[in-house]
Amino acid sequence: MDLLVAILSTGLTNGALYALATVGLSLIWGSMGMLNMAHGAMLALGGYTAFTISSSLGLPVWLAVLIASAVGALAGMVLYIAVVRALLKAAGKNFETSVMIATVGISIALQNALLLVYGGQPLAQPFGVSGALRIGDSAVPLLSMLIIAVAVVVMVILALLIGRTRMGRAIRATAQNREAAQLMGVAVERTYLQVLALSGAVAGICGVLVSSITQLSPTLGADPMLKAFIMCVVAGLGNLPGAVAAAFGLALVEAAVQFGMGARWGFPVLLMLVIAILIWRPNGLFGRAQIRRM
Amino acid sequence: MSDITQTLPTSTPRRPSKGRTDLVIGLGLLALAVAAPFFIESRYMMGQVILGLFWASVAVQWNLLFGYAGIFSLGQMAVFAVGGYSTAMLAHYLGWNIFGAIAAGAVIATLFSAIVGLACLRLQGVYVALLTYAIAQVIYLLIVTDTGCFEMVGTSCRQFTGGATGFARFGDFGMRPILHGDWIKGNYAIVLVSFVLSMGASWIILHGPMGLAFKALRDNQPYAVARGINRFHTQLLIFGISAFFTGLTGGLYATHFQAIGPNIFSISSLLFILAIVVIGGIGIFWGPVIGTIVLMTADEAMREMGDFRTIGLGLIIAGAVVLLPNGLVEKLTDILRKLRQ
Repeated sequence: MDLLVAILSTGLTNGALYALATVGLSLIWGSMGMLNMAHGAMLALGGYTAFTISSSLGLPVWLAVLIASAVGALAGMVLYIAVVRALLKAAGKNFETSVMIATVGISIALQNALLLVYGGQPLAQPFGVSGALRIGDSAVPLLSMLIIAVAVVVMVILALLIGRTRMGRAIRATAQNREAAQLMGVAVERTYLQVLALSGAVAGICGVLVSSITQLSPTLGADPMLKAFIMCVVAGLGNLPGAVAAAFGLALVEAAVQFGMGARWGFPVLLMLVIAILIWRPNGLFGRAQIRRM
Repeated sequence: MSDITQTLPTSTPRRPSKGRTDLVIGLGLLALAVAAPFFIESRYMMGQVILGLFWASVAVQWNLLFGYAGIFSLGQMAVFAVGGYSTAMLAHYLGWNIFGAIAAGAVIATLFSAIVGLACLRLQGVYVALLTYAIAQVIYLLIVTDTGCFEMVGTSCRQFTGGATGFARFGDFGMRPILHGDWIKGNYAIVLVSFVLSMGASWIILHGPMGLAFKALRDNQPYAVARGINRFHTQLLIFGISAFFTGLTGGLYATHFQAIGPNIFSISSLLFILAIVVIGGIGIFWGPVIGTIVLMTADEAMREMGDFRTIGLGLIIAGAVVLLPNGLVEKLTDILRKLRQ
């Protein structure tokens, strides 16, 4: 019973964090076929922004989270204007790989910039939620519950933005067929800018949440990003609801393995599972087989 | 859509490199490389040249994988590390002769790569990149978190995989007793021979039937498959061959530095390889060599800048992808062509 509560609370908390990271990645992939390797660095940027805002300016936590999200959005827009726009025009067929290599470069530069500014030693977020909810003999930290709640709220807002607004309709149209959307009068470039800004905003919030349960370091985003990649792949790249389901499912499996076999086996077992799934279904669990036109 | 335009002759400016030109360039570079130790006096510079040869050798193999065979593998440094670790562990635990250990390391790296290839190469494009990257990270995490004692060294315990510290002082090329103060030049000779082997092997592959198969798969995959080229088999074969030379380089790297540790898995060393290939030009035979020379020089120039060095490297890579989409070699040939007209 205690073990079950522990697995569920760890699994759901990590699942919420992975889901947020996955949604940010999957959104970009689904609409423009771009794999953003700088996503992890953007998580770190969000975490450090919230740290600076709340520790040196002394502003309340909710404001710090909002500003972190705004900075994330800004970073996404800068990424589009400085790198992605030029690559979309120039790279053509090689866009997928070119953008991946370019964002790896951006990621390294951004992480090292954070390292220069804040130093290498891990910092703790100045805010935290103490206390725990007791269920039987075991305790579930309130922080975990808050993280799950915030993640769910962010995902609901994102779903509404994509499903119910004019901007969301443009994003979905561009994702389905770029040329057709353009002919129907969708400003595709602006839509791409919006997608990267949205993804950056989600990354900013996700970074604050990740750093609140671990510690702040320039590489804090690397681990969630790696897991998020795996979950995107399992769900089929670009599939948002599938990505969320895969994130929670795999996080629960990981937590169970970590409690059952020891912490260091969590990720390896996860990866084996993923490879097995991919051999069985090469387009992911929920992915439709792509028909490539020749 | 773009596949149709690709079959038109006007839109394929990249010609296969000619055998004679390659031979002339190769012999010229080889003459320079052989002359180098007679001119370079400082041991530091010699060390940097050797390091450059290591990176160039790995980059040549990665170029073969990505530039020609279209496998976007991010596990290249993991293969390199498997070669290095196998060499170190065979020499350390079993007391093997270092050259035997290096050869065995290359074979083990090939086997490792074949297993990874069997799991990953059914997929394509970014899926391959993500899975190979994840596999490399898993190996790194398993090595770093290894805490079980395997043997006692003095009063401290050593893990089977070397843990977070890795292996050191398991043997060297045995050049010190022969060449004394000039031992590094002996090391240079060995590394240069392996580099020439790596270049020669990739040239032979590219100009043989396999090179044609890759060209066909890259230019028009459905047609190539219809003509009986098996993508999976061809890619798996090249994955193994390139792993052999990458593993060999890894073993030589470990022996030259007399140390191998988990930091070889770090994203920055992988990034350096990617940067070399991107700057030199993806899918261009001499690209990795040019890229190595440019990047090693830039890295050396940025030495003064201290902490800004890595930031600079990251920005150079992003900038190169955006500004030189076809690499430096292509850009220079373009400029030359324009000057001639």
